[in-house]
Amino acid sequence: MIKQQFKGSNKMNLLLLVALLLAMMVIPHFAKSATVALISRIFILTVYGMSYDILRGYMGFINLGHALFFGSGAYIAGILFTKLDNTFGIFILVVLITIIYCSAAAFIMGKIVIRGGSVIAGAMITLALGEIVRNMAERWRSVTGGADGLPFSIPPIFRDRLHFYYYALIFMLVMTLILRQFLLSPTGRVLLAIRENEQRAKFLGFNTDKYKMIGLQVSGISAGLAGVMFGVFNRFANTDLLSVQQTLNALLITLVGGTGTLYGAFVGSGFIAFVQNTLLNLRSQYPIFERWLLFFGAMYVLVVLFMPSGFVGLWQKLISEAREKKKGSAVDAK
Amino acid sequence: MTEALIKTEGLTISFGAHKAVNNVGLALEKGLFTTILGPNGAGKTTLFNLISGLLTPTEGKIYFKGADITSLSPIQRVKMGMGRSFQLTNVFPTLTTYENVRLAMQAHEDIGYRIFTNHRKFSKLNDKTDAILERVLLKDKKNQPASQLSHGEQRKLELGMVLALEPEVLLLDEPTAGMAIEEVPTMIDILQRTKDSGTTIILIEHKMDMVKQLSDRLIILVNGGLLVEGNPEEVSQNPEVLAAYLGGGVLNEVSS
Ligand SMILES: Nc1ncnc2c1ncn2[C@@H]1O[C@H](COP(=O)(O)OP(=O)(O)OP(=O)(O)O)[C@@H](O)[C@H]1O
Ligand SMILES: [Mg+2]
Repeated sequence: MIKQQFKGSNKMNLLLLVALLLAMMVIPHFAKSATVALISRIFILTVYGMSYDILRGYMGFINLGHALFFGSGAYIAGILFTKLDNTFGIFILVVLITIIYCSAAAFIMGKIVIRGGSVIAGAMITLALGEIVRNMAERWRSVTGGADGLPFSIPPIFRDRLHFYYYALIFMLVMTLILRQFLLSPTGRVLLAIRENEQRAKFLGFNTDKYKMIGLQVSGISAGLAGVMFGVFNRFANTDLLSVQQTLNALLITLVGGTGTLYGAFVGSGFIAFVQNTLLNLRSQYPIFERWLLFFGAMYVLVVLFMPSGFVGLWQKLISEAREKKKGSAVDAK
Repeated sequence: MTEALIKTEGLTISFGAHKAVNNVGLALEKGLFTTILGPNGAGKTTLFNLISGLLTPTEGKIYFKGADITSLSPIQRVKMGMGRSFQLTNVFPTLTTYENVRLAMQAHEDIGYRIFTNHRKFSKLNDKTDAILERVLLKDKKNQPASQLSHGEQRKLELGMVLALEPEVLLLDEPTAGMAIEEVPTMIDILQRTKDSGTTIILIEHKMDMVKQLSDRLIILVNGGLLVEGNPEEVSQNPEVLAAYLGGGVLNEVSS
C-alpha cells in the first residue's frame, strides 16, 4: 500500500519532469531574447546552487568562500581565451584546468577548515580564504585586468544566444545527473550520514574528514565549471564573481529553493532571477523601487521566516499532508 | 585465565573537581560476557566513553588486543574491532531503518570511496543488511525513517547498527533502557546468540533478569571507582558490596 503510493508519486514526479523538460526545450522559440538569456543564466546558476547544496544541505558546512571556485572558473576562461586563443580546443583546456585548479583549491581549503571543528570557525576561515583570492585577482592587473574586470571574446560556437541556451540546458542536465549519481553513491550516502549525525558516522568507523574532503572537492569543481559557463555567457569576468556577495547568492539560492534536494537549486535560482528581474523592471516605472535591494532583502526575511526549508520543503510538506489526509479518509471508509 | 582483550590501567577522567571515573584498572577477558553495574551517575557511561575514544582520559592507559590505544581516535578503535551502542539512541533520524543498518554494513565491509556506483548495487551489503534486520526483528519496518520508530524499535536499530560492524568486542550501554518489559526477552535472546557466536560483550544494565541470565562476570562501579570485579557468585557474596552499595536486595537476586 505504502509502496504503491510511493510509486504513484514517483510517476507523477517523472511526468512533471518530462513536461518541464519539453517546455524548456521549446521555450526559446517563443520567448523574447532577453528571456532566453535570463533562463540560460538560471540554468548556470542552478549548477552553482547545487554545488553549494552539497556543502550546506548534505555536509552541514557553511562555506563563505565558495565564490572563489565560481569566480576562478570565469577567470580561467577569460585568461586562457585572451592569452591563448578563443577556440573550442582552448575551451576544453579551460574545463580541464578549472577542474584541476578547483580540486587543488578545495584540497587546501579542506585541509585548513575540515579539522577546525565548529561551523562558525569554518565559515570565518572560508570567508578569509575567499577574500584572499579576490584580493589577488584585484592586484594581479596584468593578467586579470584588476578592478576593471576582464572582457574577453569566446569561441564562435558559443556566440549564438539561442544555441548557448541549449548548451546551458545540457550543462545543467549533465551536472544534475552527475551530482545525483554522486549523492546516490556509497560516498554520497556517507555525506548524508554526516549531515544527520557526524558522531555516529565516526563510531561506525567512517573517516568523516576524508568524506568531507571529497564532498568539498566535488562541490568546488562543480562551482568552478558553473563559473566557466557564466564567464562564457557574460564574456566578462570581474572580482564581483569572487566576492562574498557572490557566495551569498549561492546561499540564498539554497535558502529559497530548499536544501538537501539538489532540485531546490533550480527552483531557487529561478525564483531569485525572476524576482530580481521584476524588481529591476519596476524601478523604471516607480521610483520607490530604486530601493529594490531593500525589497529583495525583505523577501529573504519572509522566506526564511515562513518557509524554513524553502519551496521544495514546502512542496514536500504539502504532499505528505495530502497523503496523510488520504490515508485518514481510507481508514474512515473502512 | 585467558588473555585480556581490553585492559585499563589507572583510568581517570576529571570534569573540573569531579572525578567521574577514578583510577579504574580492569581486565576484560576475551569471549566472556561482562556486566557493569552501578547506581546512576556512577560513571558507567563515562567509562564506555573513555574506552571507545569519545573522551580522552586525564590519566591512565587503555589497551585493546595488547596494543596501547589511549591516543587513538574512535574511528581507529572501530577499525580494530570495537563497536559500541549508545544509552541515548543515536541514529540517523531521517534515513530509513534499512539505510541506517546499510550504512553500518558499508562501513564494516569497507568498499572504498566509490563515487559513481549506486549504493544499492552492492548485493552483498544488501543481503547482510537484510540478515541483520531479520536478527533484530525490524524487517517489516525497514522503509520507515528511524525517527518514526517506537522507542523500543529504535533501541533494536541501535543494536542492529553495531551488530552490523561484527565487532570483536561489543560495548552496550543499557540496550533496553526505556523499553517495554515484554520486549526484554527478545533482547536477551539476541544478546545470547551474539555471545554464542563468540563476540566478547560488555554490558551496562540495570535489569536484573538480563544480568542474571547472561553475565559471566560482574563489575561494580561506585562513584567512579571500581568496587569489585568477579564472577556473579563471588560479587554477590562480597560483604563490601552488600554493605556499601546495594544493601543486599538486588544482588541476592543475582546469586539465587
Ligand atoms: N561530559 C561531561 N561533563 C561533565 N560531567 C560529566 C560529563 N559526562 C559525565 N559527567 C558526570 O559524570 C558522572 C558520571 O556520569 P555517567 O553518565 O558516566 O553515569 P552512569 O553511570 O552512566 O549513570 P546512568 O546509570 O544514569 O547512565 C555524572 O555525575 C555526570 O554528571
Ligand atoms: Mg549511563
